[in-house]
Amino acid sequence: MSTALAPSRAAPLAAPAGFLRMFSGFRVLLPFAALVVLWWTIKIAAGISDEVLVSPATAFAAFVRLVDTGVLAEYAGTSLRMIGACAVFSLAVGVPIGFAVGVNRYAARSCEGFLRFLQGVSGIAWLPLVIIWLGLSYKTTLAVVIYTLIVPIVFNTMIGVRTIPENYVLALRSLGAGRLRLATDVYLPGALPSIVVGLRLGMGYGWRALIAAEMLVHSGGLGDLIFSARTFNQIDRIIVGMIVIGCLYIIVDRLIVQPIENLTIARWGVLRK
Amino acid sequence: MSPNPTMRAATRRRLPRFDREWLKFAAGMLLIALVLAGPHLVGMATAGHRLDPALKRPRGPSNVVVVLNFTPERFHSERVTSYGVFAGRDGALNRIRLRMVTPENLAALAAIPWVARIEPLK
Amino acid sequence: MSAVAPSASSARLRLDRVAWMLLPAAPFVAVLAAWAAYWQIVRPPAATLPSILAVVQVVGDIAGDGRLGANVLASLWRLLLGASLGILTGVVAGFATGLYRGISEFLSPLVIFFNAISGIVWLPLMIGWLGIGTALAVFVIWNTVFFIVFQNTVLGVQLVPEVLEQGVRALGAGRFETLRSVTLPGALPYILSGIRSGLGFGWRALIAAELVGAPSGLGQMIFAAGDYHRSDIIIAGCLIIGVIAIAMDRWILYPIEQRTVQRWGLITDAEKEGV
Repeated sequence: MSTALAPSRAAPLAAPAGFLRMFSGFRVLLPFAALVVLWWTIKIAAGISDEVLVSPATAFAAFVRLVDTGVLAEYAGTSLRMIGACAVFSLAVGVPIGFAVGVNRYAARSCEGFLRFLQGVSGIAWLPLVIIWLGLSYKTTLAVVIYTLIVPIVFNTMIGVRTIPENYVLALRSLGAGRLRLATDVYLPGALPSIVVGLRLGMGYGWRALIAAEMLVHSGGLGDLIFSARTFNQIDRIIVGMIVIGCLYIIVDRLIVQPIENLTIARWGVLRK
Repeated sequence: MSPNPTMRAATRRRLPRFDREWLKFAAGMLLIALVLAGPHLVGMATAGHRLDPALKRPRGPSNVVVVLNFTPERFHSERVTSYGVFAGRDGALNRIRLRMVTPENLAALAAIPWVARIEPLK
Repeated sequence: MSAVAPSASSARLRLDRVAWMLLPAAPFVAVLAAWAAYWQIVRPPAATLPSILAVVQVVGDIAGDGRLGANVLASLWRLLLGASLGILTGVVAGFATGLYRGISEFLSPLVIFFNAISGIVWLPLMIGWLGIGTALAVFVIWNTVFFIVFQNTVLGVQLVPEVLEQGVRALGAGRFETLRSVTLPGALPYILSGIRSGLGFGWRALIAAELVGAPSGLGQMIFAAGDYHRSDIIIAGCLIIGVIAIAMDRWILYPIEQRTVQRWGLITDAEKEGV
């Protein structure tokens, strides 16, 4: 990396190091406060009607209402449960498939292009077809999100297995390790960093696919919440929904998936590219 | 004292990387758990305030009116009417009549945080 | 290798190479075979699963009467518009942010947040502001591409070693000269990686946006077909979407990256290999 020459100029645009530091550094809230002020100013100065943009106060009132009436918790819960279930399923099914494909050079070569193609035809594109097959229900959303999540997981598992130096495998085999031992002691740890990267990518794609699918399938979830609010011009609900979607994604990505990634790399990151 | 911001930042007492990640993970899981289970826990804790005294010890299926503090949306109606037999509104949109509500369902209804009151159906 | 039968081993080598070239087709062939077998045995209704022949025919139909061309062009045009805007604004904003630490620290939380809602999450709000149509789709694409290119540009700019810039300055280069000769080439691998990623994401976001509301385009085509239970059009559309995605990445973006980054001998981020 070019950074070998000299330290970089400024801290990369990642989250500030240290979770606890975020607590004491309320500086992270400053930009948002500035944004809210800007929002309010524009709303008042340009005299925008409530049909187009509501004020922060109205949005906050809508937030309180949505929490009080249990709507937010319900819809947010639906989305979270869905993404969680899909993630678990995709890992449980995708990782073994990725292993099976990655171990063999020819299998990996043949599947790589296919997986890229599936990635290109995003899960959302398949929605109309899945709706015909499974109807307008949570099953459709489930199918589409699992599809979106599983492709990067399989792909990255495959890559992870492929990049394990053959010497490691040969070394253990020469010591008499059987298939199972090889799997747990070489393949799994070696591929784990890549698998987790795949999970992280998949969660990014999957969350977006989830929101989009919920918009169309209209049976619960945050996407349904904000899209239905459109029909009744409830801009305050839309804005609250958008903020909640953003916050939840940040929580899931930065406080759950990223730590898993960092812990995995810290523990088994020797083979990481 | 450290001479410049960089030194100060470097020597600031921080948790080791490993522990920081576990803390983040725990915090994340906690927040998600809060969203998923929080309302239910709050509802269960305040269940006593919801039930009309006449319904406190039901001996069998009861007929109730579920009162909400707001106009119910599709989701609210679906949830409430799943606990009994829907018998129309009780004069206003936010008063829902339910018949044949078993004691278990009654307890479940009482544990819903956004239900204001459950009154006996006269 | 034995020298006794050279022709046999070189023939086998050629066969190996041919097989290696053809392998990527294997899963597609398998899927097609499974599809054909399922169709023969179960004979599902056309609305559920059309035959392969039906799909091929429908492709011919819509290509023939110009609908396919019109929709593909509409979608690609929106992608071009939105992506160019996104790349332009992303690179400019990225440079401005990457060069000044204060700005980057201030904007960082905002960028993280808006990145989390980039793309179709803006759809309900924007339908009200922009109406259903090209403007909406272009906005969604701009939004998606901008954040990816922006973040990559910032990263690229910040990772250019200061030593190189100081060196050029010491030789008397002005601000602009430094940017042009050191910072820009230094950040280029990241910028290009961002563009490549952004276009992939952008294409997907476009299809999603068109599914919800657009007067034309591939996404709209398959969505409308869904209303009429025309599974053949849906499948045809999906396949075309996939082909365009692959073609775009493999034959346009990858070569650009190869020729600029590798020709200038810049170091690239190996992590790009992932999907």
